[in-house]
Amino acid sequence: MKAATRVRRFSDELPLLGAVLAALAAAVLLEAGNNFALNILATTFLMAGLATAWNVIGGFGGQFSLCHGVFFAEGAYLTANLVLHWGISPWLSLLPAALLGAATAFAISWPAFRLRGPFFAIATMTFSEVVYVLANYFDGVTGGSQGIRVPFRAGWINMIFPSRIAYAWIMLGFLLFCLAASLYLLRSRLGYYLQAVRDNEAAAQAAGIDVLRTKLWCFGISAGMTAIGGSLFMMYVRVVDPPTLLTLADVGVRFALIALIGGVGTGYGPLLGALLVVPLEAWLRAALSASLPGSNLVILGAVLILAALFFRQGLAGALTGLFARRRAAPA
Amino acid sequence: MVSFAGVLLAGLLLGGIYSLVAIGLNLIFGVIRVVNFAQGEFVMLGMYATVVAYTVLHTDPYLALVVVFPLLFVFGMAVQRFILQPLQNEPMMQIFATFGLLLLLQNVVLAITGGTSVSIQTPVSGLTVAAGPLQVSVARVVALVAVSVVAVGLQWGLRHTMAGKAVRAVAQDRRAARLMGIDVERTYMLTFGFGAGLAGVAGALLTPIFTLTPQIGGNFILAAFAVVVLGGLGSVWGAYIGGFLIGITEAFAGFYLDPALKQAIWFAIFILVLVVRPTGLFGLAGAEEMGLRVQE
Amino acid sequence: MSALLSLRGVSKRFGGLLAVDGVSMDVAKGELVSIIGPNGAGKTTLFNLLTGQLAPSAGTIAFRGDAINRLAPQARARLGFGRTFQIAQTLTSLTAIENAMIGGFLHHRDLRGASARAMAALELVGLQDRAGVKGSQLTLSERRRLEVARALALEPEIVLLDEVMAGLNPTEIGHMVQLVQRLNAGGLTFLVIEHNLKVVRQFSDRVVVLHRGAMLAQGTAEQVLSNPDVVEAYVGKSRQ
Repeated sequence: MKAATRVRRFSDELPLLGAVLAALAAAVLLEAGNNFALNILATTFLMAGLATAWNVIGGFGGQFSLCHGVFFAEGAYLTANLVLHWGISPWLSLLPAALLGAATAFAISWPAFRLRGPFFAIATMTFSEVVYVLANYFDGVTGGSQGIRVPFRAGWINMIFPSRIAYAWIMLGFLLFCLAASLYLLRSRLGYYLQAVRDNEAAAQAAGIDVLRTKLWCFGISAGMTAIGGSLFMMYVRVVDPPTLLTLADVGVRFALIALIGGVGTGYGPLLGALLVVPLEAWLRAALSASLPGSNLVILGAVLILAALFFRQGLAGALTGLFARRRAAPA
Repeated sequence: MVSFAGVLLAGLLLGGIYSLVAIGLNLIFGVIRVVNFAQGEFVMLGMYATVVAYTVLHTDPYLALVVVFPLLFVFGMAVQRFILQPLQNEPMMQIFATFGLLLLLQNVVLAITGGTSVSIQTPVSGLTVAAGPLQVSVARVVALVAVSVVAVGLQWGLRHTMAGKAVRAVAQDRRAARLMGIDVERTYMLTFGFGAGLAGVAGALLTPIFTLTPQIGGNFILAAFAVVVLGGLGSVWGAYIGGFLIGITEAFAGFYLDPALKQAIWFAIFILVLVVRPTGLFGLAGAEEMGLRVQE
Repeated sequence: MSALLSLRGVSKRFGGLLAVDGVSMDVAKGELVSIIGPNGAGKTTLFNLLTGQLAPSAGTIAFRGDAINRLAPQARARLGFGRTFQIAQTLTSLTAIENAMIGGFLHHRDLRGASARAMAALELVGLQDRAGVKGSQLTLSERRRLEVARALALEPEIVLLDEVMAGLNPTEIGHMVQLVQRLNAGGLTFLVIEHNLKVVRQFSDRVVVLHRGAMLAQGTAEQVLSNPDVVEAYVGKSRQ
């Protein structure tokens, strides 16, 4: 008698997702009133969502993108412009931001995806640098190197709140959206195709998969999610400039690092990574940056190297390994 | 037109600098098939080491070469042995690791120097020589001469020494080379060390020309990638000539269009070459497997 | 009965090297045709021409009457080509059933349909009990069978096997032969590259011999293997 093997479906992921959501919500409620902690939580949720978005193409797809800062910036600048010049509520700018991000990803996909591994990374990195220059140049749209600022006008429609807790909830919502989207993708035909392409392009082709189209769609999805994060970020900090949005070490590589530490290619890895890295980095920056400029980046760099060498499976891998051993060990 | 010749000359001299940085990168790319994102930082280290030698020991930068090369050679070997060799079959992790190295090196130097920029005045800095109606910076000419010497020397070494032949064998087919008894790991270490050493040499030669900041590596790395891709993986002459082509293009674009466009130029060249002629101008056939698509 | 797959004057040149030289052959529906030949005969190149990894320098490859010379591998899979690889290209991070499902998704867009098809394919190759095992943990023989399962999940009309017996022990070879024979008996067309002449004798309807890129002989296994030209190609000219 054969054992019935059910393949994991999205609906199977819902219980854990709900539990995670509940735990994070509890953290928010616990810290209500502590603006400092809420700030950290909001930033953590945002970065977790952005790392989850990067992971779609970086982890599931195996394509090391260094241009996610571009999509992030697009979301921020679009929202700022719609709010400042057209008086449109930032909530309504989320969908256009996602579409803009996705469209940009589609546009650079055709040349970029002809390139394997390292060349893709270089091409996306160069693209990011080009956009950085353009962001400084076209100051009509971006405010140039001065940056762009959305004035404080509290209200639900404006997505501006005097207290931090609303932002914590919004960012948690963003994280939930990213997690749900990424898990849904993982358990769908497109998600399986993407993983097949990552593991073995030749085998994927032999199975009838259109490799370029698969990467293209997933890159677009990843970019769209990232752009939404950029929009939310704009309304959270209300002032941005090209370095804030496009510096590789702070943005592009940061998403990848968080995903790596948490577990590249896993569903919850990026969240775990963010939970560790964001508070830790905030602490490091406060403790060290005054005495030694750039020392937080020294640690970041060292962590990247060590994680790549010894911690490839990330926190998620370590955790699942722990559970597997527990189950295998006799009572 | 004077300005045309001036721009051309500027482009050539700029190209010499790019070639200098790219030759080491090309060697690493072509042989070990790894993207060394930290190559710009090796140049930066070479520059700072030269500055230290100059200020502390009063050594002329061009003499400091003799020390800077072995220093970075050994450093490069260590990086290959301890960071890249364990990650040989994990290209994504290699990207993480070399990028981490980039951040680490840049910010260690930043922490040490406290963020102030440094420039040294050697007898050569600022010295210009008249070439017709144009004033030519002697230091840049030295760099150009140096890269030519390096290119010729490297090409000769690859062709006529045992070590060079081993390197070429490994570049063409790693498995076959191993079967022929070549120690591939040791060849990789020597190659990476050499590539890092060359970057250090570039740094030493560039010290009289530039003002140093820890981030100066970033000025070169993307242009160097474009050079390597344009010239073709594994071809020394490709990196040499590619550097000049990119330098000249950048000079003209900067003069007639906008200097801020230089990153766009690199990107455009990079993408154009990879899409139209993946092997570059002089690349080896074996280069297709690295990051490129073979279309029938 | 018109041929399912037909080759006319197919050649492939790499610079100065003529790897495949004017090969013409037909594979009829339901046949099991083996391609054999000494090393360097051009079998792998011919195989790559059939799978779409290479395009021919000359000649026509036709499937169900339509030329497919320039069709990419994924398009051929959608037409009905299934194939295995000489070195099993198992998707290591996915489980066995997920591996097979990659093939199943071709005709079933939903998870349920694709996984059912995958399970059926696993049963055909005898891997149903290993369905939940990760690809990286399967043995060589299991990976080989998984390759076949993934190809079967595509619901192909023709399956191209590339040295599927390599590296298997005699028992495993026996199982694989039985599997192929069973599938062939069920109407599935096979084109097989194989070194193992014993196996070739066992299951082939027809055998094609390649030598130096050209077709040297064609016929039943008995005919071909007793052909002195074929023997000479394999063994070399006997010394006087």
